[in-house]
Amino acid sequence: MVDILGIGNSGLIAAKKSLETTGHNITNVNTEGYSRQRVHQTTSNPVNSAGIIQGTGVRVRGVDRTHDPFVEKRLQKSIAKESFSRYRHEELSQIENIFNEIDNGGLNNVMNQFYNAFRELSSQPDNETMRSVVRDTANLVAKDFHRIRDSLDTLSRGIDQKLGGEIKDVNALSESITELNIRIANLEAGGDETGDLRDQRDLAVKELSRSFQVHTYEDDKNNFIVSAVGVGTIVAGGQFQELAASGASLNQSSSGMDGSVEVFFKARPSHKITPKFKSGRLASLIKVRNSDIQHLQGKIDDLAFDFANSVNAIHSRGYVGREINLGPNGEAPASDRKGPVTGVNFFKVTPTKDGAAINLELSDEVKADISNIVTAVGPNSPGDNRISLAISKLQHEKFMSGGTATIEEEFLKTVGNVGVEVGKAKLDAEQMEGIRVQVETVKERISGVSLDEETANMVRFQHAYDAAAKVMATANEMFETVLNIKR
Amino acid sequence: MTRVSENSSTHALKYALNKSKEKMENLQLKGSTLKSMTRPSDNPMSNVEALTLQSRIKDNEQYIKNADYAELQLNSTEKSIEQVVEILNKAKEIAIAQSSDFYDANIRKNISNEVKQLRNQALSIANKRIGNKYLFGGYKTLTKPFTDQGEYKGDTGKVTLEISKDFFVPINLNGQEVFFTDDDSADSQPDPFKEVGPKDALPPELRKIRDAQEGISNPDNSGRDLASAQPQTEQYRERSNIFSLLDGLTSSLENNDPNFTQSLLEKFDDAIGRLVTMRTKVGSIMNSVESSRVGNEDAKIDAATRKSALVDADVTELFSDITRQQNILKTTYKSSQGLMNQRLLDFLR
Repeated sequence: MVDILGIGNSGLIAAKKSLETTGHNITNVNTEGYSRQRVHQTTSNPVNSAGIIQGTGVRVRGVDRTHDPFVEKRLQKSIAKESFSRYRHEELSQIENIFNEIDNGGLNNVMNQFYNAFRELSSQPDNETMRSVVRDTANLVAKDFHRIRDSLDTLSRGIDQKLGGEIKDVNALSESITELNIRIANLEAGGDETGDLRDQRDLAVKELSRSFQVHTYEDDKNNFIVSAVGVGTIVAGGQFQELAASGASLNQSSSGMDGSVEVFFKARPSHKITPKFKSGRLASLIKVRNSDIQHLQGKIDDLAFDFANSVNAIHSRGYVGREINLGPNGEAPASDRKGPVTGVNFFKVTPTKDGAAINLELSDEVKADISNIVTAVGPNSPGDNRISLAISKLQHEKFMSGGTATIEEEFLKTVGNVGVEVGKAKLDAEQMEGIRVQVETVKERISGVSLDEETANMVRFQHAYDAAAKVMATANEMFETVLNIKR
Repeated sequence: MTRVSENSSTHALKYALNKSKEKMENLQLKGSTLKSMTRPSDNPMSNVEALTLQSRIKDNEQYIKNADYAELQLNSTEKSIEQVVEILNKAKEIAIAQSSDFYDANIRKNISNEVKQLRNQALSIANKRIGNKYLFGGYKTLTKPFTDQGEYKGDTGKVTLEISKDFFVPINLNGQEVFFTDDDSADSQPDPFKEVGPKDALPPELRKIRDAQEGISNPDNSGRDLASAQPQTEQYRERSNIFSLLDGLTSSLENNDPNFTQSLLEKFDDAIGRLVTMRTKVGSIMNSVESSRVGNEDAKIDAATRKSALVDADVTELFSDITRQQNILKTTYKSSQGLMNQRLLDFLR
């Protein structure tokens, strides 16, 4: 009869534990990364009493979390991919804004104005007002080249800062994963339940997947290892490798800009790992900075350089638009009191293509005096429009890309490419988000808490508890019956 | 049977709602701007085409402006030639009347004053200005092209303008071809780069090589000479000089020499014939300016239509899309209402 009490008690304990777990599940229904838990119960060891094998009630073996490691891995991977394409889209959209000319003017518009100003000047080369219009539109072109190049530079610098912040986040996460590793190892050594801590660790690893693609496994000594794919181990059991980011000089830079932020292991500062990350926000930022922005910076510099030089090449062959005192045989002097009379450049000459867009400006001569804007092939010919005519015709001259494109076509090709890239990135981001949501739904189906299920369980466990208590009450009555025999 | 948990259904719901709202936002943006594109990535190819069209429209506007200016110039030139023809006709009438022995020296002397007056008129036409610009000075538009002696100070510069893509027209006649010689005015299509330098005038180092090949490193000897030095040296040109013709008539009248007067008649005929041909030529240039202007205006409208088709939103389609999307969103809300508010707990009491 003592057995009956014991059996009833084991039922009470098991039902109570199940109700506790159900309560834990219900209260954590909205906890991020929480996996529902189940009480794992079996029959207690049977005893052999007088040759009869007899059960002794129920035993709680443990509390498990419902969890699928393969789904978890798929989720990590899809998070990395989604964050790669989402941040790529985000950054490229900002580049796209620089080249967006749908609502307001942009480089294409002002370059067109520039050529048309020369076309207008060629109708009245002797008109001062037209000359100043030419100078003003040329300033607009220079300003817009500055705007584009400057915005690209700012974006590149912005990415540098984001990289720094990202590395800090990565280090904080690695540290917390390391701490969780230590706590889990300690608790498991004592045989305690670690489901909640494992959930927290999975959450941290998922968070880390946003930055780069991770690979996780447990080695034969039960150490939890996290490595960044393509880079190396970040966390190994109770230890982690700190990453660091700092500005590099121009010849070390991978973005083509001075002071670009490069990533390396803190312990090995000379070993640059910037381009090695796969997927995730880090790879996304680095790719936009090192390939997309750098490519566009080069393209804009090319355009500015060829634009300025093609105009200069023609402009410098004519004579300035003011009265020049000719020599005795009708030859023009090299210069008069306002400076040289021929060979005058329209734009300031930049020695190299590098930075040509940011350095584009009018030559000092043209800045100082609009009579230095050349329209005539010969001296003292105010009505001669041949130079301005030729400059206006540069608009239709295919001298870019090895003589296959006009400057406008070349620029529009660049704009088109930006649009296509952004469109692709947007599509990728949407697709990747869809995949991530799908995997997450699969995970939640397996691990997520269902309130309906828990409610049903609660009813079930409550009944079990009631019944087990009834068993004990029955045992109590039986004791009383026995005790009353003597009376 | 698939297990459904609270989070799996909310996840799916959140995703669907977000998608739906994103589409709505996009449509509303289009509805507020009435443009089918707001950024290049919406339709990269159309964006580039729209930008190209925008440039073409602006180019056309400039071509039309240039055509207006060319017309103004050519009109004045035509009128001036007409006036010169009139003067020459008057002079010729005088010459015909005075080539007989009918009048005596006194009358001829008086009439010679009339011819002098005609010459002055011709000179003022030759020095005609539009604004501050001399019409017949070649490239030297800011200096008086003819001296009182009828000497030409301008040059033989021919100003051309682009009035339609790659279509250049001459917009001036220089004083020499009008008043001195029957030198043909250029109406061939000039290549603006040929006169300036190598065609693909690019990097300076490249330029020098090309210059050496083509031998035009010095624009001074590009074939244009100062005209004032020339006409006196060539007999033929001297002959058709309108001022010397009128001067000749004056002196023949003053000297009472009807034979010489008669000998001038043929020259007057030549000069008048030449000027009439010239006027016809100017007229035909004006015609082509006019027709290319019409062409440009048509092209401008075509380009604007095409651009609008690319950039502007189809309003009917857009608003029916918005209504449809609103309905979808409403349905999503309704279905989620059913999902979110029902629990087993509600039934266990």
